[in-house]
Amino acid sequence: MHASFAMRCAAALGLVASAFIGGAATRATAQDVTLEVWSHEADEPAKVAFRELAAKNLEKSRPGVKVKITWYEKNPLFAALKTALPAGKGPDVFYLEPDQVEYITAGYIIPLDDLVNWNNIEPWARKVWTHNGKTYGIPQEAYTNELFYNKDQLKQLGVTLPANGQLTQAQFLDLIKKARAANVTPVSQGVGDRPYPGAYIVGEALLRKLGPDDYQKLFTGKLTFADPRVVEVLKWVKELVEAGAYPKNFMTLKLGESHYYFYSKPGSVMLPMGSWYTGRAFVPEEKGGQPANFPIGIMQYPAMDGAACNDCKTSAIGASFAINAASKQKELAAAFLNAMSTPEMGKMWIETVYLQTGIKADVKNFTGPHAAYFTELMDRQKGAKYFIGSPRDMVTGECKDTFIQVLNSGFPGGLLTVDQAVQMMNKSCYKG
Amino acid sequence: MVAGMRFGFEQIRRLPLALFVLLYTVVTGGPFLWVATMSLRTTSEIFKDPYGYPSPAHWEKFADAWTKSNYHTYFWNSVVVVVIAVALVTVIGAMAAHCLARYRFRGNRLMRFLILSGLVLPPQLLILALFQILLDVNLYNTLTGLVVVYVATHIAMTVYILEGFFMQIPQDLFDAARMDGYSDFEIFWRVTMPVGAPAIFTTVTLNFIILWNEFLFAVVLLTDDDKRTLPLGIMHFMGSHQLDVGMVATGLMIAILPVILIYGFFSETMIKGMTAGAVR
Amino acid sequence: MSISTRFWGFFGRNSAKPETDARCAGLGILVAFLAPALLFYAGFAIYPVIRTIYNSFHAIKPHGVVEFVGVSNFTTLLFADATFWKAVGNTALFTIVATILDVFGGLLLALCLFARAPFAGLLRVVWFTPVLMSYVVVGVIWVWIYDYDWGLANAILRWLGLGAFEQSWLGHPSTALWSVLGAHVWKWLGFNMIVFLAALYALPGEVLGAAELDNCGWVAKLVYIIVPMLRATIVNLLVLSFIGKMMVFDLIWIMTGGGPLWSTETVSTYVYKRAFEWNTFDLGYPSAIAVLWFVIILAFIAVMTQLLRQRDKLEF
Repeated sequence: MHASFAMRCAAALGLVASAFIGGAATRATAQDVTLEVWSHEADEPAKVAFRELAAKNLEKSRPGVKVKITWYEKNPLFAALKTALPAGKGPDVFYLEPDQVEYITAGYIIPLDDLVNWNNIEPWARKVWTHNGKTYGIPQEAYTNELFYNKDQLKQLGVTLPANGQLTQAQFLDLIKKARAANVTPVSQGVGDRPYPGAYIVGEALLRKLGPDDYQKLFTGKLTFADPRVVEVLKWVKELVEAGAYPKNFMTLKLGESHYYFYSKPGSVMLPMGSWYTGRAFVPEEKGGQPANFPIGIMQYPAMDGAACNDCKTSAIGASFAINAASKQKELAAAFLNAMSTPEMGKMWIETVYLQTGIKADVKNFTGPHAAYFTELMDRQKGAKYFIGSPRDMVTGECKDTFIQVLNSGFPGGLLTVDQAVQMMNKSCYKG
Repeated sequence: MVAGMRFGFEQIRRLPLALFVLLYTVVTGGPFLWVATMSLRTTSEIFKDPYGYPSPAHWEKFADAWTKSNYHTYFWNSVVVVVIAVALVTVIGAMAAHCLARYRFRGNRLMRFLILSGLVLPPQLLILALFQILLDVNLYNTLTGLVVVYVATHIAMTVYILEGFFMQIPQDLFDAARMDGYSDFEIFWRVTMPVGAPAIFTTVTLNFIILWNEFLFAVVLLTDDDKRTLPLGIMHFMGSHQLDVGMVATGLMIAILPVILIYGFFSETMIKGMTAGAVR
Repeated sequence: MSISTRFWGFFGRNSAKPETDARCAGLGILVAFLAPALLFYAGFAIYPVIRTIYNSFHAIKPHGVVEFVGVSNFTTLLFADATFWKAVGNTALFTIVATILDVFGGLLLALCLFARAPFAGLLRVVWFTPVLMSYVVVGVIWVWIYDYDWGLANAILRWLGLGAFEQSWLGHPSTALWSVLGAHVWKWLGFNMIVFLAALYALPGEVLGAAELDNCGWVAKLVYIIVPMLRATIVNLLVLSFIGKMMVFDLIWIMTGGGPLWSTETVSTYVYKRAFEWNTFDLGYPSAIAVLWFVIILAFIAVMTQLLRQRDKLEF
């Protein structure tokens, strides 16, 4: 194939053209070693600072090494990776999330078991990235699905939370109706640029109603969506939707915009979000962040009637990093992963990103401007039974596409009936 | 214009026309003006009143957008890629067009059909294989590769326009040149090119505009930040300023302004260039 | 790879043949003039097409694994892929409506200026501006225009007291495709206008003058004189516009990414999704989509040229 006529023509043309372009495309082959890193979260300053510091630390400990981090937004990052990796190209290290198992099956990333210092990583977090006994990604960000709310708004609506922070499903529906009656958007969620936010409420409700085992079965094709418990949950969500739970621009509202909607303008009562909410919210107000005095609170997702596990809660690994199988400097790449995962870095993560982490970090005396927030976040973890992984970690292929279009957007967007949603999900996901 | 308004009656009849014309002008120009005002306002100002007048005008945002992003790289990449691709496709296309228009030889029609069939090739049909091919020849994720692809995909249109024009050049000119002892190449260079200059200018403009705006090939064939062309750069800029609508507007304006400026000076040429394939 | 080498062999023989007719130029000259264009074109346009066709009968997996799968990609596509057919439907709708709006809207605009509207010379330039903008720019601007909260579209409705009609324009399956279409037409109307304007000015003045003397109204003049005389231009623009729109990608990708509920999924976005967004890394199936779609486009072009232009052929 490589010797074909067209190839040779192409190569010849390439030579001609590169003579024109000159050295524009081929630099960076000097004596210094450059480690290429591609990372998501270009718009989250705390994480940018965190990773840049790790890069600087590595550069300091290894003279002659340069770490070059390219910052992306999520969709362009994965678009770039999906073309670069099959090409045997791409960066040495890149951002990845645990639902992206296709990178493992395709052999684009390598097992890190012998490369990384796992003593610094929480074993449960490592497990998320372990497939067939090998670990492929280093978990950096851990999060729980939380239901953020505006304390003042809730007070104004005359709703008080029980001590455990969990309303019943009827109370929650009532809260939605009260908010609508008061002309406030109840839940400022949007699915304009992400394949999951619309499924927070329905997902958490399913988890509680079904319990972890059946919940997992549901999203791995072993339990039908026509199961009466599933239908009950969907009917409840449909009631929420019909009560006007979501904003009118739910379908186009982008992730960042939904944050701004919640804490600034026009304001909403609640925002279901991973606890990584802080990455965008805890930036200066003039950069679109949460106002300093914003009365943020965290409640539990509602308790479902006849639920199997109302203490259940999703915990998942988000931002992780993996090493490109095509990297020529895997040892150096691993050194960068280690540099991001020291206990000191873990401490910095918690203190600057205000978020859980897969890095072992011992933070006892929590201080800083958002200490109260973090304390409340930790309070909400008491007694929680974690289900590790979100639905999008479990679905693949056509089922994933349908999950994105149906449970994430069409159904909560009010475009589908319960029956339609059940039927569409079963068609793509349920394997009988 | 005045001649059309001979009678008062005529003028009244023209009122709806004038109104419609005004309306459509607002429809075309309005969005640009809106973005222009936003580009001089901060996001919080915009969210307070999306349609306000920029006062005070935050001109510093332009410097901000330029320095805090990689715009100069994107801009330069676009210039390099587009200039080289346009130069190549023009020369190569003109040579082929000259050959097809001037010489009678067996296979002429086949050649012409082959090249012009490129007019109907959808980029989607090429893109996946181009991706593989550029990988095979190590041109994936290089500006060179993008140039090659641009040249290949725009030869058809270039030849189509130039050949039509070259055919109309009187044969006498060539006969005379040959009598004067011009070689074939000299005839091309000294007769066809100068006489065909208007058409060449047209294809240059057309290709320049199309390639300057090209998105699909670039998004699939380039991945590195420092190789991005301007359209990719704008997308990237938007991604990293999600919440900062004002900044995105500034970024957009940086992309729009050069086009408007050049258009202001060369509007007739650009109009002619863009519509060259359709006006015949 | 045997398919492509055989093709190239055939091709090489043919390009070598013209030497038999030496009346005008020797083989060397012809080759020298044609070779650069043919090399680029063959290597990066024709070869990719052939390779795409080859791909469509295979599963192209990571690390150079290529499996022959026969026509199974096509059978899946034809009989079991609902999204594909949804995409075909959307693309067809988009193409037909946008083409008609584009061409006849452009004609209307051209007639306005031709009717000596005030500032016609300047407006001609202004109205053309969107044509020069990249889809990225147009897409972002229109996403803002359609924004539910602060977008221009809803703001105008509210200002007109029609707040009841405000919409999440890009967020509802019933409006999303039309909204993207609006942006697309907005970008291209000026193009068609210019072409029509040129054609109008090329019309013989006596005919229009005679019609004017007959006190022929604009409508009658349009229907009985102008449109028939512009037939060739109209047909040309219809074909051009049609071909362009069947390949629509950029604007949709930027504005909606194919959503909501696949309501703006077009064949092109689906190809891209299956190739680079789905978790398969398989290039075979998306290639099959592209090939099938190309066949449909070709059939359409053939039918359209047959229907619309018995006399004037596609080239000159």
